[in-house]
Amino acid sequence: MIRASISSFGLISTYSIPQQSKKPNPYQSHQKVFSKSNHVLDFTSSKTLEIRKTCECFDLYNELVPYDKAWSWQKNIVREKKALIESNEECPDSLIILQHSPVYTMGTASSEEHLNFDIKDPPFQVFRTERGGEVTYHGPGQLVMYPIINLRNHKMDLHWYLRALEEVVIRVLSSTFSIKASRLEGLTGVWIGDQKLAAMGIRVSQWITYHGLALNVTTDLTPFRWIVPCGIQNRQVGSIKELLRQSQPSNGCRKSNLHHPDDFQLIDITHNSLIKEFSEVFQLEVQHKTNPLFEPSENNI
Amino acid sequence: MASRLLWASRAASYLRISAFNRGFASVIKDLKYADSHEWVKVDGNSATVGITDHAQDHLGDVVYVELPEVGVAVTQGSGFGAVESVKATSDINSPVSGKVVEVNEVLSESPGLVNSSPYEKGWIIKVELQDAGELNNLMDADKYSKFCEEEDSKH
Repeated sequence: MIRASISSFGLISTYSIPQQSKKPNPYQSHQKVFSKSNHVLDFTSSKTLEIRKTCECFDLYNELVPYDKAWSWQKNIVREKKALIESNEECPDSLIILQHSPVYTMGTASSEEHLNFDIKDPPFQVFRTERGGEVTYHGPGQLVMYPIINLRNHKMDLHWYLRALEEVVIRVLSSTFSIKASRLEGLTGVWIGDQKLAAMGIRVSQWITYHGLALNVTTDLTPFRWIVPCGIQNRQVGSIKELLRQSQPSNGCRKSNLHHPDDFQLIDITHNSLIKEFSEVFQLEVQHKTNPLFEPSENNI
Repeated sequence: MASRLLWASRAASYLRISAFNRGFASVIKDLKYADSHEWVKVDGNSATVGITDHAQDHLGDVVYVELPEVGVAVTQGSGFGAVESVKATSDINSPVSGKVVEVNEVLSESPGLVNSSPYEKGWIIKVELQDAGELNNLMDADKYSKFCEEEDSKH
C-alpha cells in the first residue's frame, strides 16, 4: 500500500537513495547497529514463516490527545503489565500511536534553563514527567509512538532498545521517503545533518518501557524555538514535510504540485510505515485494537 | 598516577575486590546482590544500598538520580528511586525491606559518582532493616558474578 502511495507523488532524488529502495529480501538483508559496548546488534528482517508475538496497538494517529490523558493511560497499562508479570501470566506488548495537542514535556533531569520562557507563564502547558531526556515539544503534525513493551520479551538492554527505536524511524525515512537519516554518537534521536527529526525519551520500570518517540511529520516547528530542544544548543529541529519541501526544485516547471502529498496524506503514509517498521524491528505482529481502553472521560485518570 | 595505582591496588585488597581486571565489572565480596543489579552492605541493623559496577557500566553516564524521602518504607524487590542515563530513566529496586534513614544527597549534584564509585561514594540510600532473613533471597559475590556473565552472554 505504501508503494502505491509513493508512486503517486514521485520520489525525491536529492537525498542519496539507499541501496534497498525495493522491499528487502527477507532472507538476506539485515541491518547491523552498534551498541554502546560495540557488539554488533542484528535487526534481522523477518523470515516469513516465523510466528511472531503479538503487540496490541491503540491507534489514534489522527487524533490530538491531551498529554495528561495519554500519560495516565500509559501508566495504567504499565500497572496492568506489572500485575500480569507478578502473577506469572503472559504479558504481551502494547503500542500507542497518537498526536498530541500542543504541549511541552520535561524529563527527570530536565533543566528549566532550557526553557526560553518563564515556566510560570508558558505558551503551552508544561509537564514534568518521569521519562529520560530533556525538554521537548509535542503538537499537531507530529506522530508520537509509545511502545509499552516488556523488555524481557526482547533484550533487557536499554541501549539496544533506544537504538531499536531509532532504527524504526531510520527505516521509515529510508523506505518511504528515500531520506537517509542517521544517528549521532551521544545524541539519541534521528538526525538529517544537524536537524533532529525524531526525539526520544523513555522510562523503564521493572523492564517495562513507556514513553517513547516523537517524529515530526508536518509539525509547525515554531514552538521549538521557545525551548532548547533536548537541551542541545546549536542544532535544529526538522520535519519530514520541511525536508521534502526543501528538496523541491525552485523552477516550478515540474508538475510537482500534483504529486506533492498534502499534510493528511503525509501523516497517513508515515503512520503506516511506522507501524510496519516497528513490527519488523521488534519482530512483533501488530494487532489493532478497535476499542481502545482510553475513553476521553474524567473517570479514567 | 603511580600513587593512585598503588592506592587502587591497596584498596582492592582491603575491600577484597575480585575480578579487578579492566573489562570486567568489579564485584565486591561481603556484599549481597539482587538480580536487578543492586548491592547491599549490611552492618548490624543498618544497610547501605547502591547499584553495581555491572549496572552502571550498562547504563552509561548517569545524569540524574531520583532519591526517595528519608522515612519512607522500602520493600525488597520494589522500586524506590530512579536513575537516568542516555534518555532512559529506570527504576532502582530495593534489595531489602525497611525504612530509609539516609539518602546520598551528594548524588543530586554529582550523579556521576554512581559511575565512578558505585560501591563507595555512589551509595544511594541507607535502610534500617526490617527483616534480616530477607538477605537469604539475595546472591553472594560469586553467584552474582556468574549471574552477570550469563546475562551478558545472552545479548
